[in-house]
Parts: sequence; structure tokens; C-alpha cells
Amino acid sequence: MSRDFGIVWDHADLLVEGLINTVILSLAGAALALMLGALLAILLMSRNRAVRIPFRGMVDLMRCVPFLMLAYLVYYGLPSFGLNLDNWSAGMFTIVIYNTAYMAEIFRSVWSRLGRESLEAATAFGFQGPRLYIRIIFPQIFLASGPLLGNQLIQIIKDSAFLTIIAVPELTHAASSIQAQYFVPFAAFIVAVLIYWALCLLVEAGVFVVERAAEARR
Amino acid sequence: MSSMKSTLSRSILAAAFAAVVGVALSSSLAGAATLAEIKARGYMVVATEDDYKPFEFMEDGKPTGFDNELLAEFRKTSPVEIRQQVIPWTGLLAGVSTGKYDVAVTAAMITKERVKSLDFSMPIADSTHFYVKRKSDDSIKDIKDLDGKTVGVQSGSAQLEKLPELEAMLAKTGGKLGKVVQYTSYPEAYQDLALKRVDYVINTIINIRSLVKDKPEVFELGQAVSSRTVPGWAVQKGNSELLALINDFLAEQKKNGNLAKLQEKWLGQSFPDLPDSYEP
Amino acid sequence: MTAGAFISLLQGAGMTLFISGAGIVLGVPLGLVLALVRWGRVPVLGKIVAVYVSLLRSVPAVTLILLIFFAVPTIGPEIGPITAAIVMLTLNTAAFNCEIWRAGLNNFPADQLEASRAFGMTPLLRFRRIIFPQLWRSSLPPLINEMTMLIKSSPAIAVVGVVEITRAATRIGAQTYDPLPPMIVATVLYVLVIMLFVGLQRITERRYGQIGAEA
Repeated sequence: MSRDFGIVWDHADLLVEGLINTVILSLAGAALALMLGALLAILLMSRNRAVRIPFRGMVDLMRCVPFLMLAYLVYYGLPSFGLNLDNWSAGMFTIVIYNTAYMAEIFRSVWSRLGRESLEAATAFGFQGPRLYIRIIFPQIFLASGPLLGNQLIQIIKDSAFLTIIAVPELTHAASSIQAQYFVPFAAFIVAVLIYWALCLLVEAGVFVVERAAEARR
Repeated sequence: MSSMKSTLSRSILAAAFAAVVGVALSSSLAGAATLAEIKARGYMVVATEDDYKPFEFMEDGKPTGFDNELLAEFRKTSPVEIRQQVIPWTGLLAGVSTGKYDVAVTAAMITKERVKSLDFSMPIADSTHFYVKRKSDDSIKDIKDLDGKTVGVQSGSAQLEKLPELEAMLAKTGGKLGKVVQYTSYPEAYQDLALKRVDYVINTIINIRSLVKDKPEVFELGQAVSSRTVPGWAVQKGNSELLALINDFLAEQKKNGNLAKLQEKWLGQSFPDLPDSYEP
Repeated sequence: MTAGAFISLLQGAGMTLFISGAGIVLGVPLGLVLALVRWGRVPVLGKIVAVYVSLLRSVPAVTLILLIFFAVPTIGPEIGPITAAIVMLTLNTAAFNCEIWRAGLNNFPADQLEASRAFGMTPLLRFRRIIFPQLWRSSLPPLINEMTMLIKSSPAIAVVGVVEITRAATRIGAQTYDPLPPMIVATVLYVLVIMLFVGLQRITERRYGQIGAEA
């Protein structure tokens, strides 16, 4: 068994490359989805039904598609429509569109729980349009959404493992290719599991810091 | 939400967990069942793939192809019941090397790396690696044209292990191997070849012939990119009685002409001069 | 795609429903037990559950099933692909369900607990009569949400040879060298199944007036 871990250690460079890809895809994907999700949330909160209903439907549909299938369809299906992304970009694209729906839903639910008072107070102070959103609404929502956003980031990290199907060299892909060539499944996957765990503990620690900040602002 | 302190104590527990698992695994590595043990329990577990046309694939939910028909013959002569597990390539050989399956009934290429953990039966076909390209791609006419181009192979495959041979061929003409993309299975690699995401895919001549036969307007067979490569069935290293049983069966199939018949039917040609054993 | 191929996909859908159903039936009560252990501050066990939840919610389904399928037999009994799949989904969903039940327990009105204590109810009776009837109502919408997450992670079990929707689609693609059409049909099947659960979640949310939509 120690020989098995030795083999995995010999290919640590592959795992590190996979880890870097997993981290970049998750963080950059989450950041983009966060921004797009915030914009989408504005549409979901629209008082105009003609705006709200179709976007509501889009978000619901996105939440019904397994991430793996979406990745597959983006990678192999979109070329039929002239959009030919390489595996890494297709992975990123999938993470962003999938999670934009989830982020928007998180913001919507937090937003509808926040009191209208601060909004009305802000309007009274002359905040309007984009400034109202950037200065008043979103800072509150972001801070109040901390734990939910943390959960979603963990979900993104886990979902990124499915990208192995479209040959994105992420962490699970690396572990899997090491074990398939040298037959060391336990060693390879236990190392992968522990790395994922460490990543998610970091995310939890990050959420903790944000929560502290949120309390300090209150 | 947890406090910082408990996050820390969790990490310590994580290390403890790793140690426990490591010790548990090292203390009791399960060996494969010997032939006597297989006979005692009354069944043998064989593993086949489901997306490796023409060797093994599924037609309307039923396993078919070269290895599956050969397996049907094996069932007739086997002293014990044969239980078949149809699983994806990813864990197949690892499953045999760790004793989860007794025999890999799949066309597994016999390579230097694999014989460290597995014992192989006599070769069941001759299957040197070739490249396949898009028919519409005029930039590839010869091996030297593969210089710097992106190649698709299956991860953990013999094709991957044998890439240095192609690298050496390219070096002779001053070229070098391009980017290598690893896929979990070949259908995805072919799809990417058709979509121009890779420039060529390397697989055995048999698999590529089957592909080109089904999609002649898209793909075109290239040239050999490895030395001779042959596939066989595999058992765990040192499981010699079980291996002998399989080799006896295959020798019989060779003698009575059935092996050649199945090769003709599924692989497009018979291989009359296959060796009885093969050292990679 | 042929009719035979379509039937294979439907059979795959049946397998997805069976395995997911088993995971739900086992994982929801297991999650409750874990939540009670943590809520009741059981010494040592409570800590172990906390570590379990933290670990399980961090591990991708694909990685976990490969680990269970290959590692368990080396230290314990041989385990088949379907058993491994059910075990993986149960362990995974129980961690999330534990957090859902626990949130419900933590939000439980303290005055009701004190009142029942004053009446001299045993802990078991108190749980059965007072806590649980309210708890399951408030926890149902997020539990159903977690069920959809379970179904969405279920394609991972294909990797050990369980022929659910995704693997059925892969097999058809490998035979025809045309993998896109079966994958599209497979996606539609998933959407139909998951929509059923999302609809159920909407209904329970409306009935019990809870916000449980977040992931």
C-alpha cells in the first residue's frame, strides 16, 4: 500500500495541475456566476410579470438539468450551433450558466426576506438606479447570503469533478488517470478526497470570516 | 456555522482519518481468488466493457461483440458458473489487479506497465495502434505530418503508454508530439476529432476500422504509430491456475477454428500467426 | 435512434429512480438520527457526526463512489455496483439531510420544549408528540430540494457499471458513433423526473409556508 501512495506521489505534478484547474474553474466560475446571478436576480424581482415569469422559467429549467448532462450538451451539442469551445472553456461556460441560475435564486430568496425599510430609506436619501443597487441593495444581500454562497461554492467544487467527462484535466481526472494506468485506485482516490475536503474546509473558513464582517457591520 | 476553532480541530481529525484509512488498507490487501477458491464458491466473476466496439458493446441493452461471443463459448466449457459484470473502462483493470473481478474479458493490450500487476492470456488478436484523422483534413498525409498536432487517447490506455514510440518516430523527421488530450472513453474522442478539437486519435487498427466502416464520410484510417501490439484477457498477477484454464480454453478455440471465425466476423480478418504467449 | 435504444433509456430511467428512491428512503431517516445526535450534544458521537458531515458534503459523488466500490472490498465485504451506488447516495444525502433536520431542530420554539418538560414528558414522547409533527413540516421543502440534488448527482454511479440513464445513453452512443442524440433524450428524461420533485417542493412550500428553495 505504501508503494501505491508512492506511485501517487510520483505523479504529484498531475494532481497539482488538476488541483489548480479545479480551483481556478471553481473560483472564477463562481465569481462570474455571482455577478450574472445578481443581474438575473434584479429581473426575478421585477414587478413586471412579463419580465419576471420568463426568467423564473429559465431558472427553474436550469435547476432541473444535471450538471453532467449540461456539460455534455455544451461541449458536444453547441458545435452544431456554431459554438465550438475547447474543453476548458466549455467547462467554465457550463459552470457559469448553471450556477448563475442558482446564485440568482439565492439572491432572490434572501432579497425577499430583507425588509423593505432600508430600501425605502435609501430611496428617500436620493439613491436611485444602479447606485441604489450597488451601494445599498447588493452589499446587504451579499453579506446576508454568506453561508448560502459558501454552500454553493462547495457545490461548484464538487460539480467540477463531472468535467472529467469532457476531458478537462481537473483533480478527479488526474486521480482517475493515475489509477487507470497504475491500478492504485484507493491511494489515488483517497488523496483526491482529502484534497477536496481541505478545499471545502477553506471555503467554510472563508464563510466564517464573511459572517464576522457581516456582524461587525450590523 | 462552525467556529474557527472547530474548523481547526476538524483538520486534525482529517489527518487522523487519513492515517486510519491508510493503516486499514495496508494491513489487509485482498488477494484474488485462486482457481480452487473459485471452484469452492461455485462462480467466477468476469468483467467486460460496454463501449469498446467491436470487441464489446451493447445492442439494445444486450452485450455483444467479439469478446462476448468468445465468452459465450467459455461458458460452455467452464467448470463453474460465470457471472459477468459490465463496467466502464475506468476501473476495470484496477478491479482485476485488486481481486474484485477474476478475469478481464476485454481486449486489454499487453504492455510493460500492465504486466507488473497483471498476467495476460495468449493474444486474442493482433492490434497495432494506428491513427485516425478527419477525412476532410488534407494537412495529414503521413506520420511526419502529425508533428505538433493535438492527439486524443483514452486515459489509462495502452495507446497512452505507447505514445513515446510515436514521439521517437516524429523525432526522426525533426518533429515532436503535440498536446495530448485524455478521454474517459473513445466515443468522446472520436466526437472531438469530428468537431476539430483534436487532429487525430490513436486506437487499435481494429477499433478504427470499425469506426471508419460506420462513418466513412467523416473519418479516415492513417498509419501504424506503434510497434506490434496484441491484446489478451487478464487475471491478477500470479493467479496461474486460473490463467492456465483460460489459456487451455483459448488454445482449444484456436485449434477448432472458432477463434478465427469470430475474428473474421467481428474484427474483419483472422490472425492465423498469433503467438501462444507474448512478452511486451 | 431506434425504438430499442429508446427502451434502453427508459430502463435506465427506471434504474435512476430505483437507486435514487432507495437513497432517499434510507438517507432521510439516517439524516434525522445524525441530526438528533448532534442536537442532543451526545459526547464524542456528536463530534464524529460533525466530522462526517463536513467530509461527506465536500466529496464529489464520482470520487466517493469509486472509493467505496474499490476500497470497501479490501477491508470488508465484497460490494456490488448497485449496493455501492445506494450506499454512496445514502451516505452523501444523509450528511445534507442532517443539516436540514438540525436547522429545523435549532429553530424549534424553546417555550414549547420547556412546557412539555414541565408536563413531565419523557424525551421520546416529547420528540414523538411535540417536536416531530412540526419538524417534518418545516423540513419538508428543503428535504425535497435535497432529493433533486441527489438525482442530479446520480449520473456519477455510472462509473462503476450501474446502467442508469447516463450509462444507457453512453452505450447507445458507443454503438452508433453518434453520442449526441441519446444524450439529448437522456437530459429530457432527467428534466422530467426532477421537475416532478420541484413541483412537489413548490406545493409543500405553499402549504407549509417555508422558504426552502435555496440550494
